[in-house]
Amino acid sequence: MTPPPRGTGRLSRRLALALPAALLVSGCAAPHRGTGRPGDPIVLTLLSHYASGVLREALQGPVDEWNATHDRVKVRTLAVEFTDLLTTFMVRQAAGQGADIVHPYCLWNGQLVRAGVLRPAPPEHAEEIRRGYGEAAVGAASVGGTVYGYPTEAQTYALYYNKRLLRAAGVDGPPRTWRELEDTAYRTTRRDRYGNTLVQGFGLSVYDDSTTVGQTLALLNAAGGRFVSADGRSTALDSPAGRAVFGLERRLVAEGASDPGVNVYQAFASGRVAMVISAGWWTGSLRAVMGGAYRDVGVAPVPVPRAGDPRATLSTGFMLGVNTASAHPREAWEFLRWLNTEKTRGKRGTPATRMSALQVAAGSLTARADDMRTLLGTGGDPNLHPFLDALAYAVPEPNGPGAQAAKSLLRKNIEALWTGQQSVTEALRAIRRQVDQEVARSW
Amino acid sequence: MVNTLAPEPTGRAPVPRSAGASGSAGGGSGRIRHRHRHRQAVVACLFLAPTLLFYVVFLALPLGFALLLSLSRWAGFDLGDIEPAGLDNFAGLFADGSTFLVPVLSNTLLFALGTVALALAGSVLVATCIEKLRRQGLWRTLYFLPILTTVVAVGNVWKYMYEPGGLVNGVLNALGLGSVAFLQDADTALPSLVVVQAWASLGSAILVLTAGLKSVPESYYEAAALDGAGPVTVFWRITLPLLRPSLLFVCVTQFLTGLQSFALIIVMTGGGPGDATDVAALEMYRQAFSYGEWGTASAAAFVLFLVVLAVTLAQLWFFRRKGEDA
Repeated sequence: MTPPPRGTGRLSRRLALALPAALLVSGCAAPHRGTGRPGDPIVLTLLSHYASGVLREALQGPVDEWNATHDRVKVRTLAVEFTDLLTTFMVRQAAGQGADIVHPYCLWNGQLVRAGVLRPAPPEHAEEIRRGYGEAAVGAASVGGTVYGYPTEAQTYALYYNKRLLRAAGVDGPPRTWRELEDTAYRTTRRDRYGNTLVQGFGLSVYDDSTTVGQTLALLNAAGGRFVSADGRSTALDSPAGRAVFGLERRLVAEGASDPGVNVYQAFASGRVAMVISAGWWTGSLRAVMGGAYRDVGVAPVPVPRAGDPRATLSTGFMLGVNTASAHPREAWEFLRWLNTEKTRGKRGTPATRMSALQVAAGSLTARADDMRTLLGTGGDPNLHPFLDALAYAVPEPNGPGAQAAKSLLRKNIEALWTGQQSVTEALRAIRRQVDQEVARSW
Repeated sequence: MVNTLAPEPTGRAPVPRSAGASGSAGGGSGRIRHRHRHRQAVVACLFLAPTLLFYVVFLALPLGFALLLSLSRWAGFDLGDIEPAGLDNFAGLFADGSTFLVPVLSNTLLFALGTVALALAGSVLVATCIEKLRRQGLWRTLYFLPILTTVVAVGNVWKYMYEPGGLVNGVLNALGLGSVAFLQDADTALPSLVVVQAWASLGSAILVLTAGLKSVPESYYEAAALDGAGPVTVFWRITLPLLRPSLLFVCVTQFLTGLQSFALIIVMTGGGPGDATDVAALEMYRQAFSYGEWGTASAAAFVLFLVVLAVTLAQLWFFRRKGEDA
């Protein structure tokens, strides 16, 4: 939709509050922030998407440790599914129940900063973050050069491949260039006589925003391209690199080596996809789902257009920040410093921050490369190493104010390209027009 | 406690209506009657208060808030950050390059029209067949079952059935035909969704139409049989015209459901591929909850409301011309 120009003035606060106030009164009890009596502890709330499984337990461990060792400040975790996280931020914030500590997907940082939800990190914390984390992680946790929180997990993208399927097609190892990628994709593809895909050579998928856009942006970054310009105010996709990526994807779909309609997460795990680009978090899921067949899974860096081209890929991540509405920001930052920077010796006896230990324990990647290297050195999954190496050269996902809308628009046009509704040129033009419009409105 | 709504006692002695007394006595009884009516009105209002409060809280306030937002910009986080935007949100929806009219609104109308046409045709056919069968209750129950299933379950099951290796393609392959990428092809995605929505809403339509069929007097059919009318003539000349009130109800309700459809589409295609199945409700949800553009979402909601109102009025007008009272 075409955005309206920004309004200039403001309605008076009283008028703005008049209508919804009555709606909110009924459902909004005061958030639990401690009793407020002198001597009673402050209770900080932490809202994250670690709602189930190992991540929930992994986060609760350090929180329990903090609560057991700190009398004055206690932390209470609140968790919702990732799909409900942004909505929950909105609703709670509008109702005056915003959590003290929030754990957003870095893509939303610009939107949250523009809405005045995120508090900039105090200088000493910002310095600590810049010193302790890689460029991609710091970039993801920053908006317009200002750091807003501690990066918790960093997801880089790499090429997953099925060794058995590649061997069966007479391919010795994973592709390193796009030419090899295409060749391997065509050689491994198998279809039945009705056109049903038996094996996808290269898995492109319309599963969700992150899958569709992540795959494309990883290839774009590997080709030296960028989705948005350096200042984040316009799209940079309509470039030779963008044209090359779209051309490659269109060919793979048209030649039948990719079948975007197939759920690639299920198909790869069941040996029906030879290669696919995805993020590091998937290794843990694959190990659990595939069992013994996981030994056939290999991971390699995202192929580059030509041999000798510098490596690059996409990185995404989450961070822990402090809400502007928090009544106890100093305590909240102190908790985050304790969680994210203090090194302890965990169960394995390896020195790492509590956050790094919990991420690796949950099969994910910590944003601290040094911790990741140390923790992986003590018997981690070797398939995680390419993701760890990629932290050094990964490009952070753009996270300006209109980033979520831009990502959705990009996804729509990628799908239109894959399904033949748009040519490469049409798709690039449509993305430039739509995303530029969206980004311009948001800034 | 005095029941002020109870009728006045009838055993009371009649008041003498002499000319001299009429002024003061009439004035007194008038005041009493007035006070009595006033008390009745107050009590009536008290009884109505919970319902009125419900409407105010859940209808009037949200409607007012949506109207305010449609004329403002708001990111969804802080109520104090609502900025006036005049008609900019509405202008944006219809501006050059906007996707709201095409494909979003056009998809919405096509989806609703397709659903109504398919569900109406299917339910008339099935309801007429059920009328001829024994154990009608069993058949009605069977056709009603999809209504009891959650949309998410229905959407996921159909999604698997439509997949390249799914049941539908399996049948096509067994017939020697090639596979069709139902949900992945922009040309087939929307019609495929229409089929599912129509299937899911068939049960309620059948229920209404079978009730309508039962209300058709048997004497008409007997007279038609005596005149030698065939089944097709009977259906076109008797059954269908007498079903018009039920058809109107099904038509209006199905169309409204189709225009507001959201869950099935987000489960099955998420609006894709591209924006081939993007509809107004889905776009509103994205604008508000994903992009933080509550003004645009609210403006789109009001435009959709006007479309729904116009279509419903058009349907009522059309059926009234044919002599049916809504």
